[in-house]
Amino acid sequence: MREKLPLALLIIMGLFGLAYRFMPHPGAEAFNSYLRDTLLRIISAFALILGLGNLLLRHAHRIQKREQDWVHSWVLILGFGLTAIIGLLGGVAGEGSLPTKVGNFSFNITDIYNGLLIPLGASMFSLLAFYMASAAYRSFRAKTWLAAALLLSAFIVMLGQVPLGYQISPAIPQVTQWIMEVPNTAAKRGIELGITLGVLATFLKILAGIERSWLGSGR
Amino acid sequence: MSLSTDIWVWIGAFLTFCIYSFLYKDNPLYKFGEHLYVGVANGWSLAFMYLRVIKPVMVQPFGEACRITAQEGLRAELFNPMAPANFLVIIPGLIGCLYFTRFIPGQAWLVRFPIGIFMGYYTGVAVPAVIEGSMFPQMKGSMVTLAKFDAASGGGFWSGIFAIIVLLGVLATLTYFFFSKEHKGITKVGAQTGIVFVMIAFGASFGFTVMARVSLAIGRMVFLLRDWLGIVS
Amino acid sequence: MNWDRFASLDRRYIFLLMALVIIIPILVPMNITMGTMRVTQDLFDTVDAIDRTKQALMISSDYTPQTEAENHPMIIALLRHAFARRIPVLINALYVEGAPLLDQALKQVTAEFNARATSHADSIIYGRDAVYLGWQPPPIVPILSMGQSIRGIYPVDYYGTRTDSLALTQWTHNYDQVGIVVAITSGTSPLWYVMYAQPKYGVKVGGGCTAVNAPDFYPYCETGQLSGIMAGMKGAAEYEALVAEKFDLEDRRKATEAMASQSAAHVLMMVLIVIGNIAFFATRGRKS
Repeated sequence: MREKLPLALLIIMGLFGLAYRFMPHPGAEAFNSYLRDTLLRIISAFALILGLGNLLLRHAHRIQKREQDWVHSWVLILGFGLTAIIGLLGGVAGEGSLPTKVGNFSFNITDIYNGLLIPLGASMFSLLAFYMASAAYRSFRAKTWLAAALLLSAFIVMLGQVPLGYQISPAIPQVTQWIMEVPNTAAKRGIELGITLGVLATFLKILAGIERSWLGSGR
Repeated sequence: MSLSTDIWVWIGAFLTFCIYSFLYKDNPLYKFGEHLYVGVANGWSLAFMYLRVIKPVMVQPFGEACRITAQEGLRAELFNPMAPANFLVIIPGLIGCLYFTRFIPGQAWLVRFPIGIFMGYYTGVAVPAVIEGSMFPQMKGSMVTLAKFDAASGGGFWSGIFAIIVLLGVLATLTYFFFSKEHKGITKVGAQTGIVFVMIAFGASFGFTVMARVSLAIGRMVFLLRDWLGIVS
Repeated sequence: MNWDRFASLDRRYIFLLMALVIIIPILVPMNITMGTMRVTQDLFDTVDAIDRTKQALMISSDYTPQTEAENHPMIIALLRHAFARRIPVLINALYVEGAPLLDQALKQVTAEFNARATSHADSIIYGRDAVYLGWQPPPIVPILSMGQSIRGIYPVDYYGTRTDSLALTQWTHNYDQVGIVVAITSGTSPLWYVMYAQPKYGVKVGGGCTAVNAPDFYPYCETGQLSGIMAGMKGAAEYEALVAEKFDLEDRRKATEAMASQSAAHVLMMVLIVIGNIAFFATRGRKS
């Protein structure tokens, strides 16, 4: 019952999903629209809330147990709480009931997004440029002829991707284009086909009820 | 040089340096920035998700149905799931609430219902999509036809030759990743050819990755030099 | 030469070098010339060929602040192209984290064009020339649902205005009225449109992707499933150049400005790899 009912539900919903592609009947389309636009949209919103709840619980636990860096968990929880309150009560652009402006200083969630999220997010990913340079210097070794082929391909593409390559010779971007359209396409297509077949097999196993790992341990 | 007078730009610059301090070594400023980012991002997502999804799709229709019932009494159309004001919109909410049963000992099995609904539908939609949208077109694109050699159809001699190379490359790559048979004889030749294609492709991917990562660093530097310090226009 | 020092070089020196080669070209602007990749030209031509009286350009985005430097110039260039040709634009966000960035882009380009406009007809009017539909989760829902009704999945736009009150969304019912969907992404959302929307609704799809994912899209460009892509910042710079050249626009081109720093950083990467290899083989030879 605890396994059979959810499994039956999954298979039924899977059949609805399959039918969507093959049944242009207006009734079927309308039903599918309701499933997607209302039922599944709201369920996915609650899944997001679950993820947030997990995150907060994890950090609350860290504070309670005084684990490493527990002080920073307060930063996370306070940041989350303040932003959520300002957003929920202040509105997207400050149109809500909570005032989000003091003098000329505005702090609605759009300002928080522009002032905090963009610098933090962009900075974190931009660290990769530096680490990539360091990793390339320390680890990128042409120990075998295959590694040398990889390096040569990388060098040609790197040069072809920047205006400097074009200024050295217009042939370099053309060779880059050839590398992307022929050997790269061939390899990526082969890899993609393999992945697609594996993914398809997994999907069919899920729909047939053979793959049941999503049911969890059942506690 | 004209320093910015916007408080948020100064906050952004401070946070940028907090994150960049990690390049010297791990330190509390970096951890502060990291945790602040996770907290604010999730708070922001929650607020936006409620204001733009849960409220208009669930709360408002349900509230409107309650208001209509209070004023005019219960009506049949308030149980029409397609109506703008209806009670049935609470059902997905209740199903969504089952996600939280994973925290209740003994009742965690109920979480399988929303997972099953969600995963079932999208798996069903994905099966024909993957076949029609990826597998068949890519297989078709790998095939060498006379049109690839025909200049009138946009091909040509070299287009045809390159199409043959792509086909051989696809087959060789698939052979390389086929581990159910030992790579001996013709399979070995195919696999070794495949690895050459794979290495060239990975080299090209690395070349592109360099540009991607450097782009992000350039973006931050431009912010610091232009928006914060005003050194460049 | 003491290659041992090179082999054990503190990585913080490399970080410093990388920072310098990025900063110096920003401080000392240089004129650069570059070619155009075929995939970028194909995308430009497809967007340019939209019949603006019957179809709109749809820009779908799932990029986030993390990749703003790479993806933002793409949407700016696309909007400039669309507005210069008076192609109506529908914008939607597939991930919530990137939603405000699209609002910024739309406001910036609208302001650029309205600063030059001489009449109401000339101006870019929200609701008539462009609509920002907003964000609805999960990503697959709007991709599938827009095939039947765009207003059905987006009853209100990003700003809370009802879409049935906006002129543009009154005639753009579904993908039939969309000339091409260009998905600006830090992931693989163009492929979601290719797999889910294109087989059933036949909509053309293009992409603007980070350079990391660009090699994965080439097989789809080759089969024609993708009408073209902007591959990374270079792709954005190429598109900016195509738009500026065709429509004689003088607006700031951020991706193009960054190409000098890109060139320098790429050269540094190659030099580092070569020196690293020389140091490795030199010290290995001595040890053996």
